[in-house]
Order: sequence, then C-alpha cells, then structure tokens
Amino acid sequence: MSSDFWIMLTAALMSACCGLLGCFLILRKMALIGDAISHAVLPGIAIAFLLSGGRDSMAMMIGATALGLIAVFLIQWLQSSGIQSDASIGIIFTALFAIGVILVSLNARNIDLDLDCVLFGEIAYVQWDTWMMSGMDMGPRSVWMLGFALLVILTLLGLFYKQFKITAFDPAMAAACGIPVMVFHYLLMGMVSMTSVASFESVGAILVVGMLVIPAATAYLLTDRLGRMLIYSVIVGIVSSIVGYYTAYVLNASIGGSIVTVAGILFIITFLLSPRHGILFRKLQHLKLNKTSLDHDMK
Amino acid sequence: MKWDVQVQNKSLIHRLSKHKIRQRKNRLSTVGSAALLLLLIVILTGCNNNPFASENAAADQGAGKFRITATTGMIADAARQVGGEHVYVTGLMGPGVDPHMYKASQGDIRKLDEADLVLYNGLHLEGSMTNIMEKMSRTRNVAAVTASIPASELRQSEENASEHDPHIWFDVRLWMQCVEQIRDSLIAADPDHAQDYQANAAAYLAELKQLDEDVREQIASIPQQSRVLVTAHDAFGYYGDAYNIEVRGLQGISTASEYGSRDVSELRDMLVERSIKAVFVESSVPARSMEAIIAGAAQQGHMVNIGGELYSDALGEQGSDAGDYIGMVRHNTDTIVKALR
Repeated sequence: MSSDFWIMLTAALMSACCGLLGCFLILRKMALIGDAISHAVLPGIAIAFLLSGGRDSMAMMIGATALGLIAVFLIQWLQSSGIQSDASIGIIFTALFAIGVILVSLNARNIDLDLDCVLFGEIAYVQWDTWMMSGMDMGPRSVWMLGFALLVILTLLGLFYKQFKITAFDPAMAAACGIPVMVFHYLLMGMVSMTSVASFESVGAILVVGMLVIPAATAYLLTDRLGRMLIYSVIVGIVSSIVGYYTAYVLNASIGGSIVTVAGILFIITFLLSPRHGILFRKLQHLKLNKTSLDHDMK
Repeated sequence: MKWDVQVQNKSLIHRLSKHKIRQRKNRLSTVGSAALLLLLIVILTGCNNNPFASENAAADQGAGKFRITATTGMIADAARQVGGEHVYVTGLMGPGVDPHMYKASQGDIRKLDEADLVLYNGLHLEGSMTNIMEKMSRTRNVAAVTASIPASELRQSEENASEHDPHIWFDVRLWMQCVEQIRDSLIAADPDHAQDYQANAAAYLAELKQLDEDVREQIASIPQQSRVLVTAHDAFGYYGDAYNIEVRGLQGISTASEYGSRDVSELRDMLVERSIKAVFVESSVPARSMEAIIAGAAQQGHMVNIGGELYSDALGEQGSDAGDYIGMVRHNTDTIVKALR
C-alpha cells in the first residue's frame, strides 16, 4: 500500500474519533481539553523515563496514558465541585505541566526529553511505523491503534447514546432521570484521554487538538440535533484530512498543519454560509423579520 | 445571539400562522445544511485530479544515480564526499534547522520513500524520527552513522548511562568513524562502485585528519586560563573533550529543556571571576538567553562580548564558508580562537 493511502487513512480514523468526542466536549464547553492533555502528560513522560531508564516508546506511552487519565479526572472532579470548566482545565494542565518541567529539569537535564521528541509522533511517518506480529507485517501501528479507539468509541456511544446525550445537554435532568451522571462524565473523559494520547503518539499534538474542536464546532453551526451533529462532525473531519493531505502535497508543507488549516477554512465557510447559524443567513433573516414586522405594524 | 433570533421568531410565530413557518424553516435548514456540506466536499475534492500521479521534478534530477537521503546537512555533506559522482544526495534538514525540533513536510515522504539508502545520525538526535528510522531499517537500507562508534567513546549523560550525547560531529576523529560507517553502508548497498567509494572516503578521511590536527593546534594557542567556551546550548561537549577546552552551556542537550535561574547566575559569576572575554551564540538557538548573561556580567563591571555565531546543529547556507562540514568546523574554530585569545 502506498504511503499516501496509509497517511490519509490514519488521519481519517483520527478525525473520526476526535470528531465524535469533540461534539460532546463542545456541548460541555470543554473543547480545549485536548490541548490540556497534550501538556499534562509531561510528568508522566518524566516519571516513565525515570522508572524505565530509557526512552522506550512503550514506557512513554504508559506514562502518558496514566497522566492523561489523571488529568481529565482531576479536571472533571474540579468541575463537578463547582469550578468553571475553563478554569478547571487551566488549573490542572498548567499545574501538571509545571510539575513535568520541574521533574525534567531535576532528573533529565542533559537528556533530550521533551514531548515533541519522545511522545508526539509525526503523521508523515506513520506508514513506516509498522506493527510486526510473528514476522508478519500487519500495516501501520497507528491504523490499528486508532481503529481500535474508534471501535471503542462507537461501541460505547452506541450502547449509551441516550445517556451521553442527556448528560451532555442537561446533567440535572439526567440525574433526575436516574442516570449516573458522574459515571458518564468520567467515561467520556476517559475516552477523550485515551484517544488523545493514542493520537498524539501517532500523528502529533496540533492535529489532535485541532480535530477535537474544529469539526465539532463546524457541525454545531449546521444542525441543532446531536445525531446529525456527530455525523457532520465526522464528515468534516474526514474531508479536512483528505483535502489537507492534498494541500500539503501541493505546498510541500507539514501534513498536520495543512489538515488543521483546511478544517479551519471549512469552519469559516460554514460560519459565513450556514443556513441555520451562518452570518449571511442571519443577516438575511434579520432583514426579513424587520420587513415583516414593519409590514405588520403598518397594517 | 442565537437566543435573540429565537425570541424574535417567537413573536413572529405569534403574529403569523405557527406551524407553517416552523415546518418550512426546519426543512429549509436541513436541506440547506446537507447541500452546503455537499458543496464543500465537491469544491474541495473536485478540483484536484490526483496530484500524486505527477512526477516531482526533484526526483528526476537523481535519475540513474544511487539515491541517498540524509537527515542533517553534515551527513549529507559526508555522503556527497564519499559517494562522489555516483550518488544523488538529498538532505532533509536545511541550514539553521534544529534537528530536535524538525517538522517533516509532505515532500519528505517521497525523499525517504525513493531513497536507495537513508542515513541518519542516531543517538536520538532526530527526536521522534529516530524510532521510525529504526523501524524502517528492518526492511530497507537505513543506517545510523553513529552505529559503529563504541559506547565507551560517547559522552554519557550524568543521570543515565544508556543515554548519549548525539552531537558527535564536533569531534572530528569521531566524525571520521561516521564517515567510515557511511562508506561501509554505501558499499554494502551499492557494491558496484565499491572501489570509487573506498578511494573517495580515503581522500576525505585524510582531509579530516588534517582538519583535526589544525583545530587542536589552533585551540592550544588560547591561554589555558581563558580557554572556556560558553554557549547557549550544551552541544559542544565533544568539541571540549577532543580539543581540551572547557565547555559551559546554559541549556541542557535538548534545545527544549529550560535553564534554571541558578544556571544563569552561576555562569555569570564564572565569567566575571575568570574574566572570560567572550561568549557565543549559535545558529540554531536564539541569542536571547546569552544576552541576559552579558547584561548580568556588565552590571558587575565585567564586559563580555558576543564572540560571534557558531554553527552547532546545522551547517550554514550552501555556498557560504560554513556550507560544508570542514568549513563549519574551521569557521567555529576561527571564531572561538579569535574571540578568546
């Protein structure tokens, strides 16, 4: 299989995962949690380095996953205790990142131990990072990892769609209906954390942070129904991945950067032209409303 | 904003017939949303007719030659010297690029995919690329130029014996071992021109040996007392070891690790005490951190100059005097000697 195919497949799988989770994050006003996780995993890397004594990627991954989970649970816990969601994200991720910086400066000052080097992958290289099983080349590792993540997300969302929906829109009502709200909050956060760390490792940080927010925000402008929003978000994500890759090819530029840029352009187009919340349409509607009420008043 | 519209809608609905409007609006926006999405897809995907099929002009240049892709400029230069006319060498990282922070572009995929031999530094210099290179080497001709250097000759990190300083090219003798590694990898991958590669390598190694002696001699001409090289980033460790000059850095090995405030004051005090004349900035690291130290020393009444720009992680622009490895080492040595003597 060609490199182009594997890169686009990886990007599409990652966008689908992030697109689905992003919708819930946007509704819960926690869209920047991806960025938070990307910084909060630093102490995990530092501790994994201390314990394993090397830069083995498996150890780094375990450390990052552990810290990612701790970070989202702490954020969720602060938020549930009444701190605003943006503040709780800000507090936890800066605090954890700072601890990470201290750990690195104490223990690994002469070692190249930054997130860019040891955890964040690069989507351009996914096709060479193959998974060998008993001598057989099984294709890129990231495709397996992200495919598995997507499967888990789809299964959980499929099984508990109603619960996730109500908890996202109205936690109080969900609690009144007897849904264990906290369980679903933590479940969602757990999925976000696992997906983010797996994606960081395969495709790099900016791409994941962007894809958690932009496609979902675009979809939010296109519909008011959660089901459709999820579908639109995934479509926007996948289209951005493919078009972004072509753009990177034409410009000979960074692939992750191009994909996020295309997603941003899609968002702006939607923002201007969306039939429901787009600027143009709202202007038109406004004019029409003014006119009708004027007509009405004159009668 | 959204509420405004809805509130206005409500009053409108009261005035006009309720259901008709609501239904029409819903249908309209659903159809509209779907249409917009479709339109975007068509616009954005339609205008490209499989661009991957078109051939890259750069790839044609190397037609018929043995293609080598190297990560850093130093490796690319050595590969050119050893390969001579038989090879077409592409470097991924241009002048002034910090290999720790290198971001791949789409074109790199082709360069790596089409190469007959890929050469990289290893010892984690290339950051996350290192793992990929190791994996690629299972199925393709990929070699780390530092692979044959025994661990005893590498600088270990203080905390962790399995981690080594990757900046080996500062010690010309170690770099000669890398050149030998490049020669051997090249011969293994392209045995047809083995004799030429042997001859080219022998000539280049002789040049490097001369370079090594010259640098040693030049550095020895600096008085022992002021033979201290202060740079922003601790890349010159091998240089210091090989040519007997004390090296003091501000940052760790990685350009990303942050320096502590104590480092700054310690370094400043040392400059004042030993009246070191100059400190150095590097081409791939911003000069700001060094300027802070100079300002600090000036407050204590000791004037320190910026001794000039040293090339550390990358070569200079092609065609400039530091555009190849030998030129880079000579530039660095001249700059250091001139500023400190």
